[in-house]
Amino acid sequence: MQAFIITIALSLFTAIGLNAQTQYEQEMTRALELWEDQKPEEAANLFERIAGAEAENWLPYYYASQIKIVESFPVTNRAQKEQMLTEAQNLLDKAKNRNADKIEIMILQAMLHTSRLTIDPSTYGMKLAPVISGIYSEASKLAPDNPRLFLSKTEWDMGTAAYYGEDPKKYCPTLEAGLELFAEEDHAPTVAPAWGEERMKKLIEQTCNNK
Amino acid sequence: MKSVFTLVGLFLTLSLQAQNQISGKVTDRNEQPIAGANVYLEGTYDGATTNSFGEFSFSTKNRGEQILVISYISFETARKKIQVNTAQHLFIKLREDVTALDAVTLSAGTFSAGDNSKVTVLKPLDVVTTAGVAGDLMAALQTLPGTQPVGEDGRLFVRGGTAGETAVFIDGLRVFQPYTSSANNLPSRGRYSPFLFDGITFSTGGYSAEYGQALSGVLLLNTIAEPDQTETNISLMSVGGGLGHTQKWQKSSLSLNTGYINLSPYLKLVPNNEQAKFKKPYQSFSSESVYRKHSKNGIFKWYTAYELTNLEVLQPEIDQPQPVNFSLKNENLYTNLSYKSALGNGWSFNPGISASYSRNKFDIDLTQIENRELAANLKLKMSKRFNNHIKLHFGGEYIYKNFSEDFIASENPEELQIKPEVSAGFAEADFIFSKKFALKMGFRSTYLDLKKQFYWLPRLSMAMKTGNDGQLSLAYGQYLQQPETDLLKFDQTLEPETATHYILNYQWTRPGYILRAEAYHKEYNDLVKFNTPEPGYNSAYTNEGYGYARGADFFFRDDKSVENLQYWISYSFIDSQRNFRNYPVKTTPQFVANHTASLVTKFWIEELRSQAGFTYTFASGRPYEDPNTPGFMNRKTKNYNSLSFNWAYLLSQQKIIYFSVSNVLGSRNVFNYDYAKTADENGIFERQAITPAADRFFFVGFFWTISSNKSKNQLDNL
Repeated sequence: MQAFIITIALSLFTAIGLNAQTQYEQEMTRALELWEDQKPEEAANLFERIAGAEAENWLPYYYASQIKIVESFPVTNRAQKEQMLTEAQNLLDKAKNRNADKIEIMILQAMLHTSRLTIDPSTYGMKLAPVISGIYSEASKLAPDNPRLFLSKTEWDMGTAAYYGEDPKKYCPTLEAGLELFAEEDHAPTVAPAWGEERMKKLIEQTCNNK
Repeated sequence: MKSVFTLVGLFLTLSLQAQNQISGKVTDRNEQPIAGANVYLEGTYDGATTNSFGEFSFSTKNRGEQILVISYISFETARKKIQVNTAQHLFIKLREDVTALDAVTLSAGTFSAGDNSKVTVLKPLDVVTTAGVAGDLMAALQTLPGTQPVGEDGRLFVRGGTAGETAVFIDGLRVFQPYTSSANNLPSRGRYSPFLFDGITFSTGGYSAEYGQALSGVLLLNTIAEPDQTETNISLMSVGGGLGHTQKWQKSSLSLNTGYINLSPYLKLVPNNEQAKFKKPYQSFSSESVYRKHSKNGIFKWYTAYELTNLEVLQPEIDQPQPVNFSLKNENLYTNLSYKSALGNGWSFNPGISASYSRNKFDIDLTQIENRELAANLKLKMSKRFNNHIKLHFGGEYIYKNFSEDFIASENPEELQIKPEVSAGFAEADFIFSKKFALKMGFRSTYLDLKKQFYWLPRLSMAMKTGNDGQLSLAYGQYLQQPETDLLKFDQTLEPETATHYILNYQWTRPGYILRAEAYHKEYNDLVKFNTPEPGYNSAYTNEGYGYARGADFFFRDDKSVENLQYWISYSFIDSQRNFRNYPVKTTPQFVANHTASLVTKFWIEELRSQAGFTYTFASGRPYEDPNTPGFMNRKTKNYNSLSFNWAYLLSQQKIIYFSVSNVLGSRNVFNYDYAKTADENGIFERQAITPAADRFFFVGFFWTISSNKSKNQLDNL
């Protein structure tokens, strides 16, 4: 069961070159920049503050949760990791309660479960693997064109395939198709989730381009 | 003049926009700085993250009274009222969050399995992938220390206690017939399949006041609250087959399992020893269902199990030339409804009811015995969480039992009936003083209807962290149990039997490792005694029996040191003596082995997509009574050894082939001896060994999961 080794290093931003207008947008941009500057803790704190000040918007909670999830992957201390994920889950639940984009939430939820699975695959694998697959298959029915969903799901499928000894290279056409989805996505300057393209490129490079 | 106005205007603007600086320092209770804490004015954007010295500073345009929030992972969030203009150089101490995962837990006496706990000794998968266990939960628990393997019985014997001293609960409610019916000297199995449970807590002593009518141990099983997906499971085995289906809806789900077991084809291929020649091999039909419904604040669960078993076996009997013809028919229905709900304000509400009907029909040569037991358990548990540090649990329960038996021998038919009703109340408080120290204290009061009397039983346990990974726990408790039906039916005036537990436990955990050492002392009093070889109508009964059990248990589990290898080692030492039943003196009972040990290994072989496992079990010889020697129970059987092997092969992600064989080396184990009632012409009492029905048992199975989601398989159903 130890073979579920899923490394998710997200390089998150395409471009945040938006002309900040409101205080909300200013602060959100500042938070995203903090994260980009390798200050995830400060970024998450700022997102939480924005979430507290803005009663409606789901994005600050979404990002705060995402930071905790991404940061949790490399953590090896079990107690610490469980705690980060519990926090991430709380934040994600709060985002969910604010009329969030269902698909983006599902993606994070699946990632959160994946991180928890890596704590102890032999304990959590049997329980969480089907849950994660279930989320991906349901989300894919609802939004087959969401590039981040496509990315996360493909990475998950590749991890499972690797576990059963299949060659990850067979996913190369799928990955290329996913890249198309990113190209097609509307890049209007907003603070809405837009991460994933860099990761997709890196994945293609790692999996398909080396001999 | 113009410049003056400009100056004034400038001042005005400045003061209107005047920002107040808020600053201070955040530490833990030992004044160690906390870096990375989020400090902000509630409901505003204004705030900062503390630096590595725990210091923060930010400016705000807000004025007057504000609430300053200070939050940091694994600490309780603090809220502080401040006046913005004077909020400089604040000093804030955060309190550790005692609900954190690395906080102390009350663990004396208790093993947790499944995912209901912080420290898991057995994972759900282990129950079914441990060699030699054959999918029997009770057998899997016997690889843990504190249990005695009693091969001719199969039930759980905990720390010098009889099998009847360990009670089983499903979703907090009592199970009345947890084991399958079987013939004398043929082991029983756990009646309920492990697949439907995801939380298993096995306590070998010192358990909470919530549980009563158990002198030695409790096994708490929780049904799965939320199945993962809709799926169908098919299994084909050398001894039968099974079909299961789980249907999942938005807020509810239903799981159904049915199985049919018939040993005939197997026994044709691999016959049993002389000791168990089946005329009608073991046959059983079983069916289980769990329905769950989630509401906004709660969950309702309804579990039902039905089983029909029959067998007919010829067993040699030393006192007669022909073997005894034993036949058995058992029918068992169990149902259990529970509801658990949060009422708000820290209150939770957990009512439930279980009911069971069991009918046994035995034909032993010309004697017929038929018994029926109708039983029910009604229970209400309430909890109040005052804060993270104090929790209170209390409740009450009522146990109804109606047992009747017809005994039809050739000469005088007999009939008897008893209704041993029990009412009980319990209250218990958890005090979590800090992440390092916790205490649980409570009591249970029991009213026995047959005795028309109340009994008070205190319980106490505490735990203390001794470092990052270790903790020390203590437990004390008084326990009471009505004599078992097989004795109570002859004398309803018997007092309950009692036990007092003292436990000292040390536990050390790291991811992938668990080490547990426990020393205990248990005093038994008021055990039932009778003055005939077998209990009967004409025996005289008293509560003058007594005894003790003391010893030490060790457990070590390692999932990490060697890649793809998981193993655990258990060792128990026990010194136990009792004077009970028809014993003439105080001695070590027949079911107690002084030393028991087991080693369970599981190895994942990636290239073969297989898991292979070995289980080795050792028990030192158990005492038996040899009428040819002076004294009582002065002889011991030879040591017990068994090495079992299993192999699971993943044919594809959803198809598994499973193979297992018990006692690979074919050790000729002897559990006990039956001696003739009368001596032969040389004055010698002849004997015959009680051995396993077969030296080895082979099992082959094919398991197939059908679901829309291809990654789920039946590895957990093996």
